[in-house]
Amino acid sequence: STDDDQDHCDLFRQWLESSTVSTELGKRGFHRELTTTVELRPNVLHDISVLLLYRWPNGVYVDPYQLASLSAHNDWQILLDSSIDLEVPAHKTLGFLSYVYLSNAGSTSSLLKATIPVHGRYHEPSLAGETFTTVHIKPPDMLLRTGKCLDRLESYAVVDAPCTVSNSSMCPWVKINRQQEEGIIIFQVPVGDGSVVMPVCVGTLLVTIVCCVALSKCLFSLHVHTRASC
Amino acid sequence: FSYNHFSFCQTSQPFLPVPKKHVLLFTTSFLIRLVLVAYGDYQDRNMVVKFTDIDYHVFTDAARFITQGESPYNRSTYRYTPLLAWLLTSNIYLTLVFGKMLFILCDALSGVLIYKILCMQGLDCKSASKISSLWLLNPLPMGVSSRGNAESILSALVLGTLLCMEAKHLACAAVLYGLSVHMKIYPVTYALPIALALRAPEGRREEGRQKQTWKKWVTFIGSFLNYELILFVSVAGAVFFTLKGLFYYMYGWQFLHETYFYHLTRRDIRHNFSPYFYMLYLTADSRGSQWLGLAAFLPQLILLLVASWAFHRHLAFACFLNTAIFVSFNKVCTSQYFLWYLCLLPLVIPHLSLSGKRGSGLLLLWFAGQGIWLAPAYFLEFEDYNTFFLIWMAGLLFLVINCFILVQIISHYRHTPPAQRLKTE
Repeated sequence: STDDDQDHCDLFRQWLESSTVSTELGKRGFHRELTTTVELRPNVLHDISVLLLYRWPNGVYVDPYQLASLSAHNDWQILLDSSIDLEVPAHKTLGFLSYVYLSNAGSTSSLLKATIPVHGRYHEPSLAGETFTTVHIKPPDMLLRTGKCLDRLESYAVVDAPCTVSNSSMCPWVKINRQQEEGIIIFQVPVGDGSVVMPVCVGTLLVTIVCCVALSKCLFSLHVHTRASC
Repeated sequence: FSYNHFSFCQTSQPFLPVPKKHVLLFTTSFLIRLVLVAYGDYQDRNMVVKFTDIDYHVFTDAARFITQGESPYNRSTYRYTPLLAWLLTSNIYLTLVFGKMLFILCDALSGVLIYKILCMQGLDCKSASKISSLWLLNPLPMGVSSRGNAESILSALVLGTLLCMEAKHLACAAVLYGLSVHMKIYPVTYALPIALALRAPEGRREEGRQKQTWKKWVTFIGSFLNYELILFVSVAGAVFFTLKGLFYYMYGWQFLHETYFYHLTRRDIRHNFSPYFYMLYLTADSRGSQWLGLAAFLPQLILLLVASWAFHRHLAFACFLNTAIFVSFNKVCTSQYFLWYLCLLPLVIPHLSLSGKRGSGLLLLWFAGQGIWLAPAYFLEFEDYNTFFLIWMAGLLFLVINCFILVQIISHYRHTPPAQRLKTE
């Protein structure tokens, strides 16, 4: 009935205004976890679809096979917009998008969480001799879906995105307003020292050539004199 | 001691059954591997850290693509022959552990082949079983094959080739060799020792007469044109090119790229045991990187040629040396590659005059070299430390250690096994 629809749309507008999303990067090294926590306010028992739209930079990647094996234990699902090359260095690839579908169906808590394992890519060696390079991960856009309440939402952006993780159709989603610069995650990745490229090349070739000569000498001397030792 | 005149070969029939007392060793080693596979299944189901290697999932996913009528190369990072994915389609049709069963079977078979080769070389059966137990009861190959790596198929093929060469069944050897080169590139390094070993035996020496150099060269090249070598090359070539043609017809250019060209032009700059890792990472985008790649290839090539020539009369030792040199001087080296030469080490051990103390010292040194590399690598990957410089130094140290160990092995290699030397003395 229209009264129910009206209540639903009011609730929807309250969610748009008060819900928050926060992100946190866990673990250390090249293999991290990005935990996104969504708090829906007011906490009312009502089914809602939440979509988190991540815009990943080229300095990180997610492993689709790892995600597939984790999906059995999670209550969220992820959809990637392109195939991911797991081995290419950062400067030879582009960023990508991922859609994470959360649902509060069956959950009594107002908090929805998604923990995504992310991996740092190898970066170009630093010519200035810096030891780390910084990858900036923007927090995701939070999108809520509704079929009926699109009017009276002029101050919010409407985005077209896949309706579900099966990517069979597109739906309108409403994006929650957020300050652009807040909550950017800093991911420090170790990087090679480009300023020592000459000593490294010389040192490597020297050691390998010396080893090659020593081993060849040993092989030759034993071939000629059967009882000699190197 | 030319290859054709092994007169102290006691068992000329390689396919005779094994003595009963050693069957216990072989069945026990297979059962231990079976238990490991079962445990791995349990750990995968119940714990966060998985027992099964990621490679096994890659093989299974590729096999699944084949059962759906598609190319196995749709699975990213699948860089093996389609033959492996075809073999593992039973993972999808029968049971997920079929592949692991195949790998542990090949692993146990490798141990049996080591035993048979040692017997054929004249070693007494008791010592042969002791030495083959170095492989059969060794936790490293056990762990690798029960985790789902396909290295044991290669080691079974390579050892099978050596056994057939020892027994002079050349067609059999050629088929197995062609298969092994199809599956992985590194057995190509055995081509030169095998060719040198199959040449016509040297003619009677003409006492005191100095042949002219060009005549020596003509005789040398002419010795390659004999029936045995031509037969071997034709059969191995036929197997290799038939398989290549078949899979190229089925999967096109992607098959050639992923199975062969990727490995040859590999530019994976992530950290690994190779001494060239840091140099290749730092110069990955610079113009001189092609020349550096070539400069890195030359020591490997030179050593392979020298080692093949120096020990072609002792085929198993030449193959072991070639593989160890190939792996140590390669531009990429991961711990899986070590199994390629470790499966040939038991064939070399009876010929070594190293004392037990010295041998264990060398083994410890080898493990220490790996440990010294693994420590900074761990801190780089899992804790936020920039240890690239330390990893580079550890990689160079590991190369030096490997060369030192190889020099020790070469210095202490004797033509006849110790048992035979005692007999003749």
